[in-house]
Amino acid sequence: MSTQSNNGYMLIFRGTDWYKGLSPEQMQQVADKWMAWFKGLKDEGTALSGNPLEREGKVVGKNRVVSDGPFAESKETIGGYFLLKVNTMEEAVAVAQQCPGLPYGIRVEVRQIAGECPMVEEVQARAQMAHA
Amino acid sequence: MSTPNKNGHILLYSGSEWYKKLSQEELQRVIDQNKAWVENLAAQGKIKGGQGLARQGAIVSAKGLHLSDGPFAESKEAIGGILVLDVATLEEAIAIAQTSPSIPYGTTIEVRPVSEECPLDALARERARGELVNA
Repeated sequence: MSTQSNNGYMLIFRGTDWYKGLSPEQMQQVADKWMAWFKGLKDEGTALSGNPLEREGKVVGKNRVVSDGPFAESKETIGGYFLLKVNTMEEAVAVAQQCPGLPYGIRVEVRQIAGECPMVEEVQARAQMAHA
Repeated sequence: MSTPNKNGHILLYSGSEWYKKLSQEELQRVIDQNKAWVENLAAQGKIKGGQGLARQGAIVSAKGLHLSDGPFAESKEAIGGILVLDVATLEEAIAIAQTSPSIPYGTTIEVRPVSEECPLDALARERARGELVNA
């Protein structure tokens, strides 16, 4: 798990149904904490960028058909993401563990950014095997 | 027509590792098609950024830490990468997603508007207003 990666890590925030039980004041508090958290990470250079996503959208799938997404309120829906400039999974996980949404049921997916498109890696790995 | 959004739109790619089933030639062809597709969009100034994701990952939740070495790859819902588009309308972002060379292979692309502020902020304000109205 401690493989080094110079490409950084991505935190993907999942869950858009967690604030249902909160009062407007509580929601505002969590939002403020979250903003302060992100600002701190940006100021110290740990976060490169981040984007919240609107609770709407569409899905393009098989045969290029466009359908409505189940984005409204679900545990799986992605609510936003951060790009982190850290070199190890441990560091990225440590940042994820500070997420102010955790106590309310938010899940943070921590993923390593690929240096190369995984498809390109696959084709290269196969070419290497063929030559071995 | 949706309202223009200056923050752009994001494409979230998901799908299992469909490319593992392709022959070396097919795989190379899809890679070349994808590369040309992205370069063409970039030349038009429509790409803000993008990241492919490695298969390994971890999930952090209130229940604790769950480390995993590839369930992301096996799941159809797993995100394989993102592309941030500098386009103002959802319609244009959808039209671009529809031309993606990986769609015929089973990739699903979620198209979402990027938000100016945390949606939670907006919702909290909205509810606070609602409470005032109802008071």
